[in-house]
Parts: sequence; C-alpha cells; structure tokens
Amino acid sequence: MTKEETGMKDEKAGAGAVPAPIRVMVVDDHPMWREAVARDLADAGFDVVATAGDAREAVQRGRAVQPGVVVLDLNLPDQPGVEVCRQLMAAEPAPRVLVLSASGEHGDVLEAVKSGATGYLVKSASREELLDAVRRTAHGDAVFTPGLAGLVLGEFRRLAAEPVPAGQAESNAPRLTERETEVLRLVAKGLPYKAIADRLVLSPRTVQNHVQNTLGKLQLHNRVELVRYAIEAGLDEEG
Amino acid sequence: MSGTGSSTSRQRTVGSFSVEQPLWIAVSAFRVLTMLYAIGRYAEHEWHYTNQLGAWIYLGVLAAWTLGTVKVFWSKANCSRRWLAGDLALIVAGILLTRAFDGHAWVVGGDVTLPTIRAAGSVLGFAVYGGWLPAAFAGLVVGVANIVEATKLTSSNLHNIVLLLLAGVAIGFVVELARKSEETLARALEIQAATRERERLARDIHDGVLQVLTLVKRRGTELGGEAGEIAALAGEQEVALRALIAEGLGPVGPLGPSGSAAAQDPDAPQDLRALLAPLSGTRVSVAQPGTPVLLPARTAGELKAAVGAALDNVRQHVGERAQAWILVEDEPDAVIVSVRDDGPGVDPARLGQAEREGRLGVSQSIRGRLRDLGGTAEIFSAAGQGTEVELRVPRPVPGQRGRNQETL
Repeated sequence: MTKEETGMKDEKAGAGAVPAPIRVMVVDDHPMWREAVARDLADAGFDVVATAGDAREAVQRGRAVQPGVVVLDLNLPDQPGVEVCRQLMAAEPAPRVLVLSASGEHGDVLEAVKSGATGYLVKSASREELLDAVRRTAHGDAVFTPGLAGLVLGEFRRLAAEPVPAGQAESNAPRLTERETEVLRLVAKGLPYKAIADRLVLSPRTVQNHVQNTLGKLQLHNRVELVRYAIEAGLDEEG
Repeated sequence: MSGTGSSTSRQRTVGSFSVEQPLWIAVSAFRVLTMLYAIGRYAEHEWHYTNQLGAWIYLGVLAAWTLGTVKVFWSKANCSRRWLAGDLALIVAGILLTRAFDGHAWVVGGDVTLPTIRAAGSVLGFAVYGGWLPAAFAGLVVGVANIVEATKLTSSNLHNIVLLLLAGVAIGFVVELARKSEETLARALEIQAATRERERLARDIHDGVLQVLTLVKRRGTELGGEAGEIAALAGEQEVALRALIAEGLGPVGPLGPSGSAAAQDPDAPQDLRALLAPLSGTRVSVAQPGTPVLLPARTAGELKAAVGAALDNVRQHVGERAQAWILVEDEPDAVIVSVRDDGPGVDPARLGQAEREGRLGVSQSIRGRLRDLGGTAEIFSAAGQGTEVELRVPRPVPGQRGRNQETL
C-alpha cells in the first residue's frame, strides 16, 4: 500500500470522536449467504448500504452507493467476481474489497488480489473473524489467510522464474525482500501477527506493513503489466 | 424431444438435417416428370393404338391423380399406405389396359405400357415410405402386371422388371439406413443436451450444498454444544465434497489429481498440490502456490506420506483437536513442505535428547523417508510456539524447472 492510499483510508476510518459506521456492500449469488452475512454485519453495527446477487448489480450498485468495503464472493453467475473487483477498483474513490469465497478457488483469489482486493477470507471463517476482517479492511489493512500467503509467495516465485522479456536487460518482476518472505512464510504457516512479531522481534504494526507491502508490489506490477500490454496492443493510440 | 416416435415430431426434431425429406420431394418430382413422359410417349405412338379415347381417358386420370397427389407425396407426414396402394393400383390398371387399348401386334411385340416408367415412381414411393421390403413388393406387383399384360415373359420384360426391383430395393435400403442414422444422431443430440443439463444442475446443486454446509458449520460453531458437533461434521463434509468435485472436474492425465497415470510411471511428473489438497480440513490448513508443483510421482507420493506422518505426529502429541498448517513452497532447486502445529512446543534441548534416545519414532520415520529422497527433514520447536517440521526435497533433474515453467 502506498502512502497516498493509506491517507485515503484514514479519512474513512474517521479518527474523530464518533466514527461513522463502516458502509459495506455484500455481493454473493446465494441469497441465504448474502442475508446471513449482511445480518451479521448489521448486528455488529456496520451500515450495510447495498447487497447484490450478480456481477452487473454489484458494479451498478457499487458505483451508486460508493461503499467503503465490498464483501465479494468470487463465484457469481454472470461474470467472474474478479471482473467485478476490477471494475469497482476503477471507481473514484475505490472501495476496499474483501474477498469472501469458498476455498479452492486459488487462481481467482490471486487474480482478485492482483487487481486490487486487499483481503481474503474463506467462507468457513467464523462470524468474529468476518467482522474483524471487514473492520481491518475498512481500516486499510490487508487481510491474509495462510492460504493467501501461500498463493502470494508462489506468485512471486513464479514471476521471478519467468524469462526476462526480450529487449530488457533485467526482469522487472517484483521481488520480495528477505524480511517480507520471512513474514509471509510465517503467515502461511498460520502464525498470528503477534507471534510473528515476537519471533522476528518486530512490532505487530511492522509485520502488518510487510504483509501489506507484498500485496502492494503485486498490484503495482499488475498495473504496470496492463499498461505495457495496452501499449503493445496499440490501445494507447486510440485517444 | 418427446421421443414418442411419431414421425412428425421426429422430423421436427431433426428437421434441419433430414435426409428423408429431400427423398420425398424427389419422389414427388419423379412422379410428375414420368407422368409427362408417359403422355409424350403415348402421343408419339398414338397411331397404332386401337382405343385412343380410352388411352386418353386413362392418361387424363393418371395426370389428374399425379398432380393432385403432389402434396401427398411431398412428405412422409402426408403420405400413407392408402395413397401408395391407390397409386400402385392406378399403375397396374394402366399396364393391364395397355393390352386392351393397344394394337395386338404391338402388345405381343413387347411395346411399352401406357404408364411406362411412371410405374417406377410408384415403386419408389413404397421404397421411401417403408424401405426395401415394401419396394420389393410393389416392384413384384408391377412386374407381374407386366407379364400378365404381355401374356409371356420376354427377355426385355424381365430386364425391365429386374431393373425396377433393383432400383426399388436399393433406394429402400438407403432410406432405411438414412432413417437409422438420423435416429441415432437425434438420440446422440438428445443425450448430449441431457448431459449438459445434468452437469449444469450438478454444478448448481453442488454449489448450493457446499454453501449450506459452510453456513451450517459457521452457525453451528457459534451456537456450540451439540450444534458445534454438527457444525464440525458439516465442515468435514464440505471439504470432502469440494475435493471430490475438484477431482471430478480436474484435468485428466499425468497432472490429474487421480494420479492413475502417474501410478504406472513413478517418474511421471505429478502435482504435489493435488496430493496434499485432501489433507485440508477444519483442523488442517494447506497453503500452496497457485501453479502446479511438479515432482516425479514416486517422490510426490513419499512426500505426501511424510506429511501424513507429520500430521499423525501432531495428533498423537498435541491431541485430536490440534490445529495444523501445511505450507508448500516451490523453489527453483527444491520443494519445501512445512507442517506446523499450535501445540505447546518442545524445548529444543529436550528434543535433541529425546532424539538421541530414539524416542522420536514418528519423526525418525519422516527423516528416513526424506533421506531416501535425497532431502532433509528438520524439526524446529520453541516452548509455547508449537512444533514445525520442514521437509525439503531437491529437484531431481535440472530440466525439471523448464518443464515446470511450460505448465505455468
């Protein structure tokens, strides 16, 4: 996460005396699930401003109500949830996207995270975990499961192993620092941030920042790649 | 798709590629053209006919009948046995009347009959309607009528009859074949459509069932007590069902999760992720890369067994309710699998002592397995932070990495 983005978050988190409730949109094609999640959030004091059952609704309503956090299921009937994530992130101001999906959708989760989602939670997570995750997402913190950490680690290794594109002296693939790798590995092995902080003799906030940085690098790389692709495909000449 | 077998519905089902329909049109056209030929042929030979009025009346009736039944013979839906029988009767009548109307010398000399090749039109109608058997019957009737008309079997007569029979039977046979292929094709299309629909339903149902199981798990866990036990069961079933679906829909082949191909060839590359995925559950989290982690099947199998042993170890030493995390990492030169538990952990000094005394039975077997694979197994532990087993297997062939990249 860049500083500028963190700044945007603070305004929403409302450091004032009476913080405004977090505005949430729930996107899930399963009415039962959608309602259960929305009810849990509403009971806990969140402001559920919209729900959507498919991608089209999600993008439309997302633009109209401008929620702070979108709880997004990736398995939607009309379009992949990743596409919803991409389109929502294009809005100004962009919402924070927390992916709440069934396990076993690895590729999709990675894509969603690369296109801007800052959190991932499996549906089997408990209510407290969900509420905590939405709070943290609203606050601008990345929400990682061990599974997502494993995926992100794997993605960085994959990018590092990719051949250097022709005409370039060296690969522009993002790399993790040793510390970041260390932190991610511990997250993937299920250690809570507190335990990681203890083990690496860091503050929990620093651990959080390291995790956040790994996501930021992936998203930045993704944007750079998209721009490069657009230039190569000649899309920039249209305007 | 009613499958009632009625010819109309079947024709509608497969209408766009029906072989039969063009044949009916051909029969209809053939009847009209041959009728016109019969009239022209008669006009040319009228001079030697003794009863020219009778011949003209017959030809008029034939023309009216043929033109009037064009629509009837246009498709199988309109045509019936009665129409065919009527057509055949009119032809037979024409053949027999030739004997009465034509000059006797000409009849004996084997002159063509009044309907001439219009007779073939009738036989073809039978062929297209019912296949080779009715065609043979109609051909024989026409043949017998010809013999009766000429009162003897001349060689040219025989020749014509044989040709007529042959044409009728051959076309009848082709029609039967076409009809059968059409039916087979229609059935295949129906099965295909049904299968697609079933798959779609299955996907929906699976998705629904999975969501419900997850929801039961979530709510039940919150309620605790007996509901908690039900919740745990639901959670296990969700994982099991998901693994089953992933296996069922997964790619077939050496990368396939079933590993049947890999089982035959211990060196065939196999995706370690697919082997470890079934281990994941409510108490075990599996973190893996998003791309296949390829290892020779034998190595992957051994590694899986070692991970299984490590999990057993966790259950044995920490308890049934212990939480465990598995991390799979795919490095250029090695594959690393870590298994961590949230148990109380062991003091490293005691760990070393226990090991020297040979009391770490399971750990020893894990080490043994890894040593056989040319890898290492390391155990880390700190009091209060659980125990971690790190299994490292070197990549056997340098070329393996290239192969890995291709599959990315």
